Amino acid sequence: MSAPATALAKAQGRRIVVVRLADAAEAVAFLSLAFGLLLVFFPVSFPKMIVHGWEQGHLVPAMMLITLLLDTSIYLRVTHFHSAKPGMVGAACLGALPLMIIGGLSFLLQAAVSHTLSIDLPNLQGRIGEEILAHTYLGLVAAVFLPFMMIRLLQGFKPTNL
Amino acid sequence: MPSWTSLKWLLWIGLYVIPVLFLPWATSRAWVDQSGNELQIGPKKLFQRGELGLISLVLVSSVIWDLLQSQFMPHTIALGSILLALAGIMAVNVWVETYCRQSSGSRWTPARAWRDSRNLALLVFSMAAVVEILLDRFAKVASR
Repeated sequence: MSAPATALAKAQGRRIVVVRLADAAEAVAFLSLAFGLLLVFFPVSFPKMIVHGWEQGHLVPAMMLITLLLDTSIYLRVTHFHSAKPGMVGAACLGALPLMIIGGLSFLLQAAVSHTLSIDLPNLQGRIGEEILAHTYLGLVAAVFLPFMMIRLLQGFKPTNL
Repeated sequence: MPSWTSLKWLLWIGLYVIPVLFLPWATSRAWVDQSGNELQIGPKKLFQRGELGLISLVLVSSVIWDLLQSQFMPHTIALGSILLALAGIMAVNVWVETYCRQSSGSRWTPARAWRDSRNLALLVFSMAAVVEILLDRFAKVASR
């Protein structure tokens, strides 16, 4: 048998990767810590950059790109670590869910900003900035963690993956 | 210029580490010394059944309570509370699953239970810290 044929046979014989929620949890934890440290060490410039990005309409596409890349790299890392092959359901979840979550949460942010503007409150600009900052963080966490949680739950239907 | 007042929340969250990790370890060391055993106990052995998940749920509950008291919009409070609760439930689920496996005599790996609960506890800890920093910032903005 030729070398490529052997490699192909090996690849076909590999089982589909079983994702543990802990794999994604570790990455989200480091993302959270990085976000927290940026807030502590750049308390003005970092939030200003995020708010500016939202006003320019760049924030949502950037978040989609970051979460998609992060999700893919976590999944491929787990696949490589376990010497397994990526599954169709996992790839579909990771391809669609981060975009859907970020898209959905951007509507929620719009609603929160509209609600803030509709109430007569002091320091409206500052409050809106903080709402955008909180939604950016929670959106990043949701778009990385929830797809893996969905994959984990779907894997639960296969008794061999428990 | 770093906002050092934001660090107080990291310290506050860090206080959880003392009763959660240090206190049980110190107590177990004291027991080993008193009983004269040669037992080697570390955090990995002490929490090998995923007990860190239980502590994570306690931490999450206190942060959700703070979030509910805040002046953030209801949308933000709901989103933050749901995400924190999900992380806490997933963390405690590691302990429940390990307990069920152990009780039923199913296959369970202490190393896997420790790794899962440690990573999920780290997630809960980091999320709690960032949410507390965001709450602190918002309180300052709202008081202006």
